[in-house]
Amino acid sequence: MSAVGFAILAGLVLAGALVVVLSENVVHAAVALAFTFFFIAGLYLMLGSPMLAVIQFAVNAAAIPILTIFIIMTTQSRRVRPASGALYLIAVVLAGAFLYGLWGLLGAPQTAFRPVSPEGLGARLLSVTLLPFEVASVLLLLAMVGAIVLARRLEK
Amino acid sequence: MNTYYLLISAALFALGAYGVLARRSAILVFMSVELMLNAANLALVVFAREQGSPAGQAVALLLIALAAAEVAVGLALVVAIYRTRESTLVDDLAELKG
Repeated sequence: MSAVGFAILAGLVLAGALVVVLSENVVHAAVALAFTFFFIAGLYLMLGSPMLAVIQFAVNAAAIPILTIFIIMTTQSRRVRPASGALYLIAVVLAGAFLYGLWGLLGAPQTAFRPVSPEGLGARLLSVTLLPFEVASVLLLLAMVGAIVLARRLEK
Repeated sequence: MNTYYLLISAALFALGAYGVLARRSAILVFMSVELMLNAANLALVVFAREQGSPAGQAVALLLIALAAAEVAVGLALVVAIYRTRESTLVDDLAELKG
């Protein structure tokens, strides 16, 4: 049952990513991106991290595509010429390097895995990873102020 | 089973890399960068499971926040560039090209 679910989710993720990369209509690409992230949230659920799945759904599958579609509409860039080909090779080589780098880390014997509860993750965020957590909140504040400054209409 | 998750992650990374290289619109380049970030995040969660530790999940959560900050600033830049150039195509922004 788990294998079938994984196969379905994996196929949907890859199909969505293909539409993002190949579609001539930018709005279609943004909607496909939202669906891709939604199905990745499903993968997180199967990997035993419900908290991460919820956050992936709320931030990556909802907030970011909505923002992106707003920007597509205001900058009137709904259609683009199709992507130029001949760069497949670089992408495949990059992916090969990525996979090769990851592969060496896999060999370790499987330890018994328990799903991480949201409580456990929250307690960990506020104890062991407290400093990165606080830095991330400062970063988000800076990004918010920076976005307002950059997109502000300049006074004459 | 974890191997298959890593294969999906690598395939997502490849598609994102292809999008960054081949797409002509700055917004689509941003979306492709998002795909690559999510591929890395997926790999991180797979390894967290392999190690049986919540550490990887905490880092993945922080990475999602980082990606959100990147999108906010990046899209603000796209808006600022559109105001001055009336275009969001990366080919129109090639002044630094030698």
